[in-house]
Amino acid sequence: MGAFLLRRLLQSLGLLLIVSVIGFAILHLAPGGPLSQFAAGGEMTQADLDRIAEQLGLNRPLPIQYLEWLWRMVRGDWGVSFRDQQPVLHIIGSHIGATLELMLTSTLLAMLIGAWVGILGAIKRYSLFDGLATIGAMIALSIPTFWFGLVVIYVFSVGLGWLPAGNRYTIGDGSFLNQLHHLIGPCIVLALVSTAVWSRYMRSSMLEVINQDYVRTARAKGLPERTILLRHSFRNALLPMITITGLHVPTLLSGALVTETVFTWPGMGRLFLDSISYRDYPVVMGILMFTAVLVLLGSLIADLLYGVADPRIARG
Amino acid sequence: MSSQTIATPDLPLAPPPTFWNSPGLRRFRRHKLAVFGAAAIIVMTLACIFGPMLLPYSDTFIDIRQRFAPPFSGPHVLGTDPLGRDILARLLMAGRISLAVGFSAMLISMAIGVCIGLIAGFYEGVIGSALMRFVDAMLCFPSIFLLLAISALIEPSVPSIVLLIAMTSWMEVARVVEAQIRSLRTRDFAVAAVSMGSSNTRIMFRELLPNAVAPIVVAATLNVAHAILAESYISFLGYGIQPPTPSWGNMLENAQSYLTSAPWLAILPGAAITLAVTSFNFVGDGLRDALDPRMDSH
Amino acid sequence: MSKRPVGTISASLPMPALHRRDILALGAGALAASYGFGARAQTTKAAPPPPAKPTGQVVVGLSQEPTAFNPLMPGIEVDETVWMQVFNTMWVADPQGNLIADLAAEVPTEANGGISEGGLAWKVKLREGVTWHDGTPFTAEDVKYTLELINAPGFKSRTRVGHALVKDIVVKGPHEISWRMEKAYSPYLALLSNTYIVPKHLLEKASDPNTAPFNGAPVGTGPFKWGQRTPGDNIMLVANEKYHGKGPYLERAVLKYVPDQVALYAQFRTGQVDLIIGTGIPANFYAEAVKLPGRKVVKIPNASLEILMPNLEHPVLAEKAVRQALYASINKQAIIDVIFYGLHKPTESFAPQESWAYNPNLPKQEYDLAKANKILDDAGWKRSGSGTRMKNGVPLEFAVSTTTGSSLREQCQQLMMQDWQQVGVSMKIANMPAAVIWGDFYTRSKFQSLLVGTAFRTVIDPDPASRFASDAIPAKNGNGANQMQWQNAEVDQLLKAGQETFDQAKRKAIYWKLQEIARDELPILPIYQYVPVEGYKEGLVGYEPNINARQNTWNMGSWYWAR
Repeated sequence: MGAFLLRRLLQSLGLLLIVSVIGFAILHLAPGGPLSQFAAGGEMTQADLDRIAEQLGLNRPLPIQYLEWLWRMVRGDWGVSFRDQQPVLHIIGSHIGATLELMLTSTLLAMLIGAWVGILGAIKRYSLFDGLATIGAMIALSIPTFWFGLVVIYVFSVGLGWLPAGNRYTIGDGSFLNQLHHLIGPCIVLALVSTAVWSRYMRSSMLEVINQDYVRTARAKGLPERTILLRHSFRNALLPMITITGLHVPTLLSGALVTETVFTWPGMGRLFLDSISYRDYPVVMGILMFTAVLVLLGSLIADLLYGVADPRIARG
Repeated sequence: MSSQTIATPDLPLAPPPTFWNSPGLRRFRRHKLAVFGAAAIIVMTLACIFGPMLLPYSDTFIDIRQRFAPPFSGPHVLGTDPLGRDILARLLMAGRISLAVGFSAMLISMAIGVCIGLIAGFYEGVIGSALMRFVDAMLCFPSIFLLLAISALIEPSVPSIVLLIAMTSWMEVARVVEAQIRSLRTRDFAVAAVSMGSSNTRIMFRELLPNAVAPIVVAATLNVAHAILAESYISFLGYGIQPPTPSWGNMLENAQSYLTSAPWLAILPGAAITLAVTSFNFVGDGLRDALDPRMDSH
Repeated sequence: MSKRPVGTISASLPMPALHRRDILALGAGALAASYGFGARAQTTKAAPPPPAKPTGQVVVGLSQEPTAFNPLMPGIEVDETVWMQVFNTMWVADPQGNLIADLAAEVPTEANGGISEGGLAWKVKLREGVTWHDGTPFTAEDVKYTLELINAPGFKSRTRVGHALVKDIVVKGPHEISWRMEKAYSPYLALLSNTYIVPKHLLEKASDPNTAPFNGAPVGTGPFKWGQRTPGDNIMLVANEKYHGKGPYLERAVLKYVPDQVALYAQFRTGQVDLIIGTGIPANFYAEAVKLPGRKVVKIPNASLEILMPNLEHPVLAEKAVRQALYASINKQAIIDVIFYGLHKPTESFAPQESWAYNPNLPKQEYDLAKANKILDDAGWKRSGSGTRMKNGVPLEFAVSTTTGSSLREQCQQLMMQDWQQVGVSMKIANMPAAVIWGDFYTRSKFQSLLVGTAFRTVIDPDPASRFASDAIPAKNGNGANQMQWQNAEVDQLLKAGQETFDQAKRKAIYWKLQEIARDELPILPIYQYVPVEGYKEGLVGYEPNINARQNTWNMGSWYWAR
């Protein structure tokens, strides 16, 4: 176990290094730069722009800039934002809360609905419900998230006036209920894809478990169907689901970015979008590294849990 | 972004008796949704290819006196956009672009993914693991992040958008192919080919690849769905295909400001995207079942 | 007079921003120049009296996020909404263009002796009794520190234009300061009206002013104190009850960031934000917005122009006949009336119509495809089989670029494309993200043509030398913002003459002539002068658009709610 963990960690570090090289190259090779926004303003002369490029170290060769960035990173210094002069970690820290709130609540919602739909689908295989659930899941996976978000806003905010059209809370209110009210829309939109994924996996996972020997044994012993379902099948079907969740971190992050854009949610997705349009290199790199760590953690946890769930899995 | 996990089914190694009676096709036909999906794709493709020729309006002709005509209210069946252009004509032309982008991006990403997967699976060792670590690293980026970062590199045009999507969607394929090839390598026929002294390229492309076709076909179908969605996301985030060329994505993007005053502008292209993507997903799902013999036992 | 590029280009992401950096610049002689700027948006009926102590809050909606809080460091227009509240300058420009003393006791002039030796020696008396938000008194040392910090070698100051000329700063007493200039530079008065004074006692403590904690929690002398910031969402400012000026009457001011203009307008409509300034309400919502109950929607004066900026080094666009034909086949009226709902004003000049230098007698552009066709025929551009004209094997084609994601501008491009197609011109749309377009692509003139919003003058002075002079082409190592690369000897002569005289009548004649040449040569194809739309909730007293301020929160200290 220890050796496995160590190997995985080393592997992850290697991956992070590759991620950083790719990210850094993509960002810095793109035309334009962090000074464009000032050039557009017109107040700063070419001399001013050149001086600031010099002061920010943007004139040096890319490999050197990369090594410097890496060396600072190794020492735990994530750099300072070009845009608001704050430490990158501090900036990420102030946006991560909103994103986590959205991701966790929507995952929870997706789990509940997805598990329910999946289990019911597995028990009543080939029923009308199962068929509708299958079609529903397929459509949910196919709808552009932002379009669904726009429709939700159009129907529930503009049309019916039930939900706020955006923001995390009303300024000057910020009570729990108020925040909850603002959370509903984006949460539903983000949960759509995860619910579909969950219900599909839950269904097949459940189908596999139902046919296992111990479930048959339990049934033969005459245990009530409810007990069999909850105590035996569901619990055993759930574990693989947790690993799925771990593997779906990137999908969830992508979804969050789009949802945050539609609902003007002040989270990491918004931050990433803004930072990339201003070419705020340190922040963009910081977010890329941060999400890469999240993704790797997700898959590590998935692997670990999978190993725990099924000791037969050989650890690679 | 829906990134469905692609299953790697075992392979039907026995050659099929005849095409139409092949068990695979029978399974596919049994899959009603897949048949529906395939039909929808065919209808949509034909409509997009031939439809614009049958319409009295061009997709780019601006007639500002006719702007914002709602659907079913006059000569323009699906109404007009803010510049008075016929929405049906634009939807169909946009379909050409979006479907073409979807297919071309799929072809390129399959080419990249298959090659990398093939090489990595065949040469295991240093090359193989180096390639797969690269794949892993690319998968560490949430797909939208990668799309956004790269779209900053390029000037938006149809070919560059195709490349952009392909560059961000070949990794899953590479993984699938790599796993498949790795398991095939140890099979008898592959070992036999090696002992007969066939060249590596020949073994890879003549012996191994044909046997990995099933998962590749499934992945390819799902990849088209992914690419159509990706095009709409790029447009939504403001890096999409340039006007006046319509695509479903940029039609949707431009409709945002008119969501309250002219909701049909957003609903129509959104529905088109959803229909197309759902159809490809249905077909992909059906193909997966059809090409996976285990499904017969269920 | 020296040159200062103040081309103000819409930089906003993703929608075009209107820049309002039109501070009054005073050529010494033009001091009394009466600017017809400034429209009173406030209804004339008597406003109720302000509250005795700060009460209530206002939520200001912004479509860009203020992120730079040190007013001397690089920032964009929207950052100034914060600076204006937290800090003060020595003097400010009011809507009529007058400079009003703020941290200074009076605005220095040659008449009151503040400026002497022909502009080489400056002396400023400062206001007494002003304190920083932390209670420390404000003194001349702070002004000295500010001016020195701007020129400090390692400091990332936004711009050193004008400031670099300052030398021999002497604190003559706690509230008096003097300095000398290396050469007479009259726009410095205007520049100082936008130079916020920072506290010496806080910044000098920091080991590096670039990373001082101050930059994340600024302390100033302004009507509002820094409250707290929720990054990506809002900034809350609280009333400074010890403010030296009028007000503040509001207890809190919240600057709310809503990243999309349409979403911002939706929140204005539902009442989540009290007013929209800066990028304003998108034109396509204007008709709807004026009907909103409980909301006031105003068209505000603005000096920016929407133009097509050709690159005059482009083989096709270099030809005057081509530009004239293109101009004749732009359907301005359709663009303004249909796409922008009749908001903007068509214009022929590079000068804003409110300026004393504006020439109203320029020939009016008429949408005339037949005329455009004739010009091109006469110039030897022959139609080819594909419909695109050719001359000497060169097809009549070029690209128009603007920032991506601006759907109204994209509509505008497509309308022009269709009209130009009819006269045998093939135009391509090549839009790019703002970070790309305003990089070397723009500054080094790598574009073929741009659709931009910009202004052509020096601060508020009508002098457009930095945009039109042949030695102001950055792509040719010039210092200025002549990105279209216009080179014209007569224009250079006129520009020089315009800078050398302080006689307004003479200058007016010069600039009228200049506008005639520009109208004929078309180094830029003027389309319209901006009339942006801002809106606020009924009951808000004190909001007053100011064409001479960077943002219309310039006087937020004196805002309050009618009870």
